[in-house]
Amino acid sequence: MTSSMDLASAPLGTSLTLLGIEKVAHGRRLATLGLREGSTFRLLARTIGGGRIVLVAGSRIALGRDLVRQLRATAA
Amino acid sequence: MSEATRIRPPVTPAPTPPVSAKSCCQTTTQVSAGAQAPVVALVGAPNTGKSTLFNALTGSRVTTGNWPGTTVEVSRGAWRPTRLATTPAGDDCSGDLDLPAEAVTLLDLPGAHSLDAHSPDEQLTGGLLQDGPDDERPDLCIVTVDASRLAHGLYLVSQIRELPMRVVLAVTMTDVAVQRGLCLDPHLLSAALGCPVVLTDPRRRTGLATLASTVLTALVDPVPAPRQTLDTDDALVREDERFAWLSTAAEQATVVAGHDGLSVSDKVDRWVTAPVVGPLVFLSVMWAVFQVTTSVAAPLQDALDRLFSGPLTDTVAAILRLAHLNGTWVEGLLVNGLVAGVGMLLTFVPLMALMFVLLALLEDSGYLARAAVVTDRLMRAIGLPGRAFLPLVVGFGCNVPAISATRILPDARQRLLTVLLVPFTSCSARLTVFVMLGTTFFGRNAGTAVFGMYVASVVLVVLVGLLLRATLWRTMGAEPLIIDLPAYHVPTLRLTAAVVWQRLRGFLRTASGIIVVTVCAVWLLQSIPTTAGPSFAQVPVEDSVYGVVARTISPVFAPAGFNQWQTASALMVGFVAKEAVISSWAQTYAAEQPQPGQAGLLGDHIQRAFQQSSGGHTLPAVLAFMVFLLAYTPCVATLAAQRREVGLRWTAFGVAVQLTTAWLLAVTMFQVGRLFW
Repeated sequence: MTSSMDLASAPLGTSLTLLGIEKVAHGRRLATLGLREGSTFRLLARTIGGGRIVLVAGSRIALGRDLVRQLRATAA
Repeated sequence: MSEATRIRPPVTPAPTPPVSAKSCCQTTTQVSAGAQAPVVALVGAPNTGKSTLFNALTGSRVTTGNWPGTTVEVSRGAWRPTRLATTPAGDDCSGDLDLPAEAVTLLDLPGAHSLDAHSPDEQLTGGLLQDGPDDERPDLCIVTVDASRLAHGLYLVSQIRELPMRVVLAVTMTDVAVQRGLCLDPHLLSAALGCPVVLTDPRRRTGLATLASTVLTALVDPVPAPRQTLDTDDALVREDERFAWLSTAAEQATVVAGHDGLSVSDKVDRWVTAPVVGPLVFLSVMWAVFQVTTSVAAPLQDALDRLFSGPLTDTVAAILRLAHLNGTWVEGLLVNGLVAGVGMLLTFVPLMALMFVLLALLEDSGYLARAAVVTDRLMRAIGLPGRAFLPLVVGFGCNVPAISATRILPDARQRLLTVLLVPFTSCSARLTVFVMLGTTFFGRNAGTAVFGMYVASVVLVVLVGLLLRATLWRTMGAEPLIIDLPAYHVPTLRLTAAVVWQRLRGFLRTASGIIVVTVCAVWLLQSIPTTAGPSFAQVPVEDSVYGVVARTISPVFAPAGFNQWQTASALMVGFVAKEAVISSWAQTYAAEQPQPGQAGLLGDHIQRAFQQSSGGHTLPAVLAFMVFLLAYTPCVATLAAQRREVGLRWTAFGVAVQLTTAWLLAVTMFQVGRLFW
C-alpha cells in the first residue's frame, strides 16, 4: 500500500494521483480545472509563500500554500 | 460594423432574472446586426482567446490580454461571416447556402470554466446560456478551447452540449500545443463531442474563413439534440460522468508526439514565481518599465514642449493680431488656455505611448499572471486573493476599468474592499504629474523618483487594506490561490499595436474632453473679478473667483509645505481629473504673465512656488505633494464607477478615507523630511 502525503511534502517532478480534498467548495473549482480525485498530475515548482505550480491535463495551475496543505496525493 | 458596446453583468451573485441575449441585442441598434439577425455567443474558459477572436471577427477593439479575467463585461458587435466563408477547397460558399442573414450579432461573454456561477461574470455567462427561455438564448455558441490544455476547456463544452443549442468548437493555441508535443485531430474530436470543430489562431487571423463557413452551415442546420446524460440528481455523479466523457474525447483526439517534460515556460516559471527571485524579478521589471519610459520619452517631450510654447503659441498670437483680437479675452482663452493646456497634455503622448507599449508587452507575454502569484502573499495579508492583484494592475493604467474588473472576485466583501483600494493605485494620469515633477526636481533620478511613487502606491494599497481589514472586515475569510497560468507568448505586433492604440486613443479622448472643458471652466473662473474695479477677463488671477477659492483652501496644506494658492488650485482641478492638473498649472502661470505666450518655463514657476511655501525645504514639500496627489481622490469618473459598483455610501466613505490618508501622509512626509533636507 502506497502512503499518502500532502502536496507541501510531495516531491517535485514526480507523477502523483490526487486522493481527496477536505473543502468541497474548493474541490469543485479545482475539478473544473482538471484537478479531481483520481486525476494524475505533477508538481512543477515551488512558489513564493509556500505554494506549488501543478501540471494537470496540460494546464499549469498555481495553488496557494493553504490549498497545497489540504490536498493529499499518492505516487502514481 | 466595428462598434462594440458592453452589457453590464449583475454585481452581486444574488438571484437575478435570466439575462436574454436577444432582448439585450434589440436594445442597442447601432451595434447589433439587427433585431432579426442570429445571435452567436463566444464563450470559453478564461484566457482562451475569446476577445482576440471577437476583435478579429468584428473589427472591434475590446480589451484583450494574456491573463485570466480580461473580459469582465459582455461586448457585442456585428459580424459578417459571409464575407469570410469558404468551402474547404477555398471557394466562396455563401451563395450555395440558404443563409440566415448577411450579418450575425456576436457576443463576447466573460470567461467561465463552467456554467456553475462562482463569480458575477460566470453567473452572467451561465444565465445567458442556460437559465433563459429557449427562444431567447443565443442561436449558436462558439466555444473557444485552448489546444494545449484541451481537457481544461471541455468541461464547459460538456455542460453546453447538455443544452438544446448549436455548438461550434474553436480550438485556439495550436502553436503552443505543437511546442508541447501535442497533436490534435479535429475530425476525431468533432466525432467524439458531436459538434463541428475548427482550428483557428485569432492572434494571427488564421482559420477565420473556415470558422465562418462552419458557423453559417450550423446556423441553417436544425438544433442538435442535447447530449444524453445520467438521470440522477446527484451533482457529483453527474460531474463524474462529464469528466469521463470529456477525458475520453480528449484522449481519442490527441496524440502526444513528444515527451511531456519541462517546457521553457515551466523552467521560466520556476524562477519568476520562486521565493526571493520572484519578487526581485517583479520589482526589476516594474523599475525597468518606468526607467525606460521616462528616459526614452524625455527628449521627445522636450521637443514637443518647445514646439507648443514657441512657434505654435507665436503663430496663434500672430493670427489673433491680424484679426485685431490681441489683448482681448479671446487671446487669453486661446493662448493661455487652450494652447497652453492642450499643448501640455500633448507633450505627454510619447510618454503614455511608451508606457502602454511596455504594459501591453507584459500583458501579452503572459507575465502578469505570474505577477499575481508573486503578489498573492501580499494580497492575502490584507484578506484579498491573488486574483485581486489583476484589477489593481489594471488600476495602474486607469482606475475606472479597474473598478469594473473587480467583478472577477467571487466574494462581495472582497470586491468592496478592492473597489476601495483601487483609487490608491497610481493611474497613468497621475504619471504625467509625477514625471513633470520628477524631471523638474530630481533631474537624472527622475525615473527612480517616479518608480518610488509606484512602490509607494503598492505600500499604500497594503497599508490601507490592512487598516480596513483590521477594523471593518475582521471576519472576512481568505480565498485560496488558484490561478491558471497561461502559456508565455511572443507578443504579436498587431495585438500590441492594437492595444496601445486603443488605450492611447482612450486616454486622449477622455483627457482632451476633460482638458478643454476644464480649461474653459478655469479660464471663466479666472476671468470673473471678486473686487470692484477690474472688468471681466482683465482681473489678476489671484483676485478672480478661481484665485480666491484656491487661497481659501490653501492654508489646509500649510503643514504639508505646499500652501501656495496656485498649487492648491491645481489639486482642486485634479479632483475632477488628474489629466487637468498640469494644464491648469500652465494656465494659471500663463495668465499671470503680462503678455500672453510669455509664461516662461512652467518648471521654474513651480520650483519657486514650492521653495517659498516650504520655507526652503523644497524636496520634502515636493514629495509631500506627490504623495498627496497619489492618495487623494483620482477623478470624478472613478467616483462614478465606484458609485455604480458599491453605491453612494461606500463611495463617500472611500473619498473620506482617500482625503484623510492623503493629508496625513503629506503632512508626515513634509514634517519628517524637513528634519533632514
